[in-house]
Amino acid sequence: MVSYILRRILATLPVMAIVALFVFSLLYIAPGDPAAVIAGDQASPADVERIRQSLGLDRPFLIQFGSWLWLILHGDLGTSIFTNLPVTSLIAQRIEPTLSLMALSLMLAIVVAVPLGVFAAWKAGSFADRAIMAFAVLAFSLPVFVVAYILAYVFALELEWLPVQGYTPLAEGFWPWLQNLILPAVALGNVYIALIARITRASMLEVLQQDYIRTARAKGMGQRNILFIHALKNAAVPIITVIGIGVALLIGGAVVTESVFAIPGLGRLTVDAILRRDYPVIQGIVLLFSFLYVLVNLAVDLTYTLVDPRIRY
Amino acid sequence: MDRRTVLKGLAGAGSFAAAGGLSMPALSQGAAARTLRFVPQANLANFDPVWGTQYVVRNAAVLVWETLYGFDANLQPQRQMVEAEEVSDDGLVWTFRLRPGLKFHDGEPVRSKDVVASLTRWTVRDPMGLMLKEIQNELTAVDDRTFKWALKKPYPKMLLALGKNSTPCAFIMPERIAQTDPFKQISEYVGSGPMKFVKSEWVPGAKSVFEKFADYQPRQEKASWLAGGKQMLVDRIEWVVIPDPATAAAALQNGEVDWWENPIPDLVPVLRKNRNVSVDIADPLGNIGSFRMNHLHPPFNDVRARRAVLTALSQEDYMRALVGDDPSLWKPLPGFFTPDTPLYNEEGGEILKGKRDFAAAKKLLAESGYTNQPVSCIVAQDQPITKAQGDVTADLLKRMGMNVDFVATDWGTVGHRRAQKSPAGQGGWEMFHTWHAGADCINPAVYIAIRASGDKAWFGWPNSPAVEKEVTAWFDARSLDEEKAAARRLNKAALEDVVFAPTGFFLSYTAWRKNVSGVVKGPLPFFWGVSKTA
Amino acid sequence: MTVSTAHSAPVPPGLAIAPQLPDLLLPVKIRRGILGFLRNHPTVAIGGALLLCLVLVGIFAPYLGTVDPTAIAPAKRTRAPSVDFWFGTDLLGRDIYSRVLYGARVSLTVGLSVALLASLAGLAIGLVSGFLRRADTIIMRFMDGLMSIPPILLAIALMALTRGSVGNVILAITIAEIPRVSRLVRGVVLSLREQPYVDAAVASGTRTPMIILRHILPNTLAPMLVQATYVCASAMIVESILSFIGAGTPPTIPSWGNIMAEGRALWQIKPYIVFFPAAFLSATVLAVNLVGDGLRDAFDPRMAKSL
Repeated sequence: MVSYILRRILATLPVMAIVALFVFSLLYIAPGDPAAVIAGDQASPADVERIRQSLGLDRPFLIQFGSWLWLILHGDLGTSIFTNLPVTSLIAQRIEPTLSLMALSLMLAIVVAVPLGVFAAWKAGSFADRAIMAFAVLAFSLPVFVVAYILAYVFALELEWLPVQGYTPLAEGFWPWLQNLILPAVALGNVYIALIARITRASMLEVLQQDYIRTARAKGMGQRNILFIHALKNAAVPIITVIGIGVALLIGGAVVTESVFAIPGLGRLTVDAILRRDYPVIQGIVLLFSFLYVLVNLAVDLTYTLVDPRIRY
Repeated sequence: MDRRTVLKGLAGAGSFAAAGGLSMPALSQGAAARTLRFVPQANLANFDPVWGTQYVVRNAAVLVWETLYGFDANLQPQRQMVEAEEVSDDGLVWTFRLRPGLKFHDGEPVRSKDVVASLTRWTVRDPMGLMLKEIQNELTAVDDRTFKWALKKPYPKMLLALGKNSTPCAFIMPERIAQTDPFKQISEYVGSGPMKFVKSEWVPGAKSVFEKFADYQPRQEKASWLAGGKQMLVDRIEWVVIPDPATAAAALQNGEVDWWENPIPDLVPVLRKNRNVSVDIADPLGNIGSFRMNHLHPPFNDVRARRAVLTALSQEDYMRALVGDDPSLWKPLPGFFTPDTPLYNEEGGEILKGKRDFAAAKKLLAESGYTNQPVSCIVAQDQPITKAQGDVTADLLKRMGMNVDFVATDWGTVGHRRAQKSPAGQGGWEMFHTWHAGADCINPAVYIAIRASGDKAWFGWPNSPAVEKEVTAWFDARSLDEEKAAARRLNKAALEDVVFAPTGFFLSYTAWRKNVSGVVKGPLPFFWGVSKTA
Repeated sequence: MTVSTAHSAPVPPGLAIAPQLPDLLLPVKIRRGILGFLRNHPTVAIGGALLLCLVLVGIFAPYLGTVDPTAIAPAKRTRAPSVDFWFGTDLLGRDIYSRVLYGARVSLTVGLSVALLASLAGLAIGLVSGFLRRADTIIMRFMDGLMSIPPILLAIALMALTRGSVGNVILAITIAEIPRVSRLVRGVVLSLREQPYVDAAVASGTRTPMIILRHILPNTLAPMLVQATYVCASAMIVESILSFIGAGTPPTIPSWGNIMAEGRALWQIKPYIVFFPAAFLSATVLAVNLVGDGLRDAFDPRMAKSL
């Protein structure tokens, strides 16, 4: 097993290298010049050129790429052009909010959607089933920011139950941390809930038709036992797959949610960095995201072994 | 009882009830009253006010650093760090003496060598500083509190240069920091200003924190803009970046922030209705919108094409697109200088007044030789002011019969492209939009955009000897009347040659909670004298 | 290829052959089949009808009481819905009703183009990857890499590279969706490759392109069609998110996303600017999802596990 994990991680290095090269090239050919933005309105073209030189932006492509790779191999992601701070510290500052948001959305989605899907499958064909599926399709049809705005308006502004913006680190207390994250997590998890509920229902439906379920029922097993112990475990593989795929969705949605709720996370950092052409930051974050994605895929594959003993590596 | 109270009651007391303290769990009520939470106009991504000249950087910098002189509310430079100055009879040697007891945040006293190093760095990046550098003989420290600036030619606007609030300002930093290359960022933020910058809590783009500097020695006079005694009445200031205007409005109404620098005009009625929020004009000097054309390449290299634009341009359209339906927020601007300032005049402004004449505009355009070639209107989508102006321009040019290619992009791209002198087809440009703070348009010294020195001018490279003649005349003027006369001739020449097209004069609001007092109008937010009750 | 499979050789369960697209000159027998199909699967019917309505609205927008959607009139900005402006006006005084109707064109174009392009590209890649073992690992690793770049970042980068345009939006979203489609096709190919009749075909000397065309391709079409509908729905939502961030279609071309983006700051006091495009977008995505769900249930309910 351990050798499997190591092999997987090694296999992803070439992937990340491709991603890195792709992103680096894209940024290199993109017009727009951080030096011009830094120099501001009052600067002369000569000033802008001097700033470019001091940032090393006038060196040829391969040299820039090479020096960046060299830094990475030493665990250094470079220095942000705009803030003069190391990219690693910028990311470190912002990673907690984003990870918290994504983790909370994920947990919320699973906790809500899986039971919903199981229930819908159990009562397949009934009104409850149709209602749940209708809700799922509807939830999937609303863009994240519309949901975010509605939630913010109702719960933060009108009812004043929750704050409308900001983020409180976990270190300052569990409840304040949670308060700031509830609305964004619901907005973000919305689409996810729909997806997981649907897959759960479909997967459960098929499993529930199997002979061994009929046997279990004939043996007198309780409905709840059947559903959660026998059926769900067997239905779990596709559900887990979807959870893995959905992480990419979460990253995209996180950008919008962080923007609306003013959460100082990686999503906003990336958008700001792209708009300002802060190359080291962009490259660092994209590498991070792909690494994250790889880890998630690995976790998904490992979870399969927990649920389905037939799967072994 | 209104609905909100009923619902709050229903929600249950206890955990949800402390709405006011929700985002500051670590501070008690008393401490909360000593912290001011402010929403700035933009991200504070970097913090070197000489290297990066964005307004938001300067606004934060005035808390941490000081200048030798500072503008007061009458736009006159007053002594700030300087105790006394003396200029020799021939105007060539300026001697300054610093106030006693000035200290930096690291405990060191402010010495002349720090001033010399800071000014040396500043003169490389600032237009007026460059002028001084050119005529400089030497800038030296005479002793710890005195320094001398010897020039080859007299420079009557010296105090203006040292005290102006247009970026970059002549901030005084410790010598070791000021010795950083002017084209590289400083990495230590140590100054002698009333607040210290707490770098450990800085999240660039999200939050910046300032703490009161206990050893600050304010002047005795009353504070007036950047002049006088800067008394800090709060212990801590947090700048919280909220990119979404609707969220910022909600946060202000909720009490999660105390002061919003730049509420968008459309949301102001909502804020006004809220019992806990006050709204007022932020800065009587306002802003001037600019539609800037490229004088180097067709179609706008021909003055007739530029005048065609002025003939058809409706400043009302631009201004309403920018500030909405409130007529008190904008004024037509038949000229280039800021209204209600000494040099404001409307010479030559008839072309912008009266009913818009599209027929005449089309005729002028045809005369200039325009034959329906495509013109690209590059509009930055991430800046609301330039976006709104760009939309209006695209429509204006279409109605003038031009073949408009709308290019939606972002401010970074605009910033890069506008620096290119090549023709539009080869990475250059024909037009872009921007705006200038009114404080930067009060006279030709700070007004980079009005200069028409061809290659050395600002983006667009207007070339008008008539305008430059009047600029020199202004610099040489010895009295206010002479200055005004020069300004009038300048206005007329600039409109005849259409250095750029002013799209109007507009004001913006600022909004704060009623438990905050001491907010004054000005070209930047002033934090001294601002206090907060719990 | 016909709708009814009753008279052909027994096909392994779950592998239906894709239906022919309706043709006006079809004999009555098959038309009845299509109507019967729709009657048996009301989700497809409802979704399809709704979608058709919206497509027609987009096509016939100029004739439905609209004015020029790009004509600004700053003096009449942010007016509430009224007799003159059925959905009100936006921040520059443009008529929202017209912009929403014309916006249908953009959003539907983006959705359908992305679905088509991603399906074609995914099909090609999936077929190659499923069939040629040696290429498989490399291609799949590459797809992994592509999947890990969030499409939103890609779109913003593309916009910064050239300009905001419908084409760039389509390109960015397509690139992000290709990995999923190719994985799906690859999965089908891998499972089919083991089938005895494929073995038989190989043994009898049929060339690979023929195998792909005759045996593999028809069986990928059904799941791909269903997947394409989901891709379409997701693309429309992503387009609106891109416009929200400012990296989507330029404002001179109204799309539901950029109408909402422009009105976002005011949505508490003038909700109609966001409400109408949101309603249309949701209705369209809903319709497409219903069609997808219905088709999936019609072809093989077990597909639901994998999509």
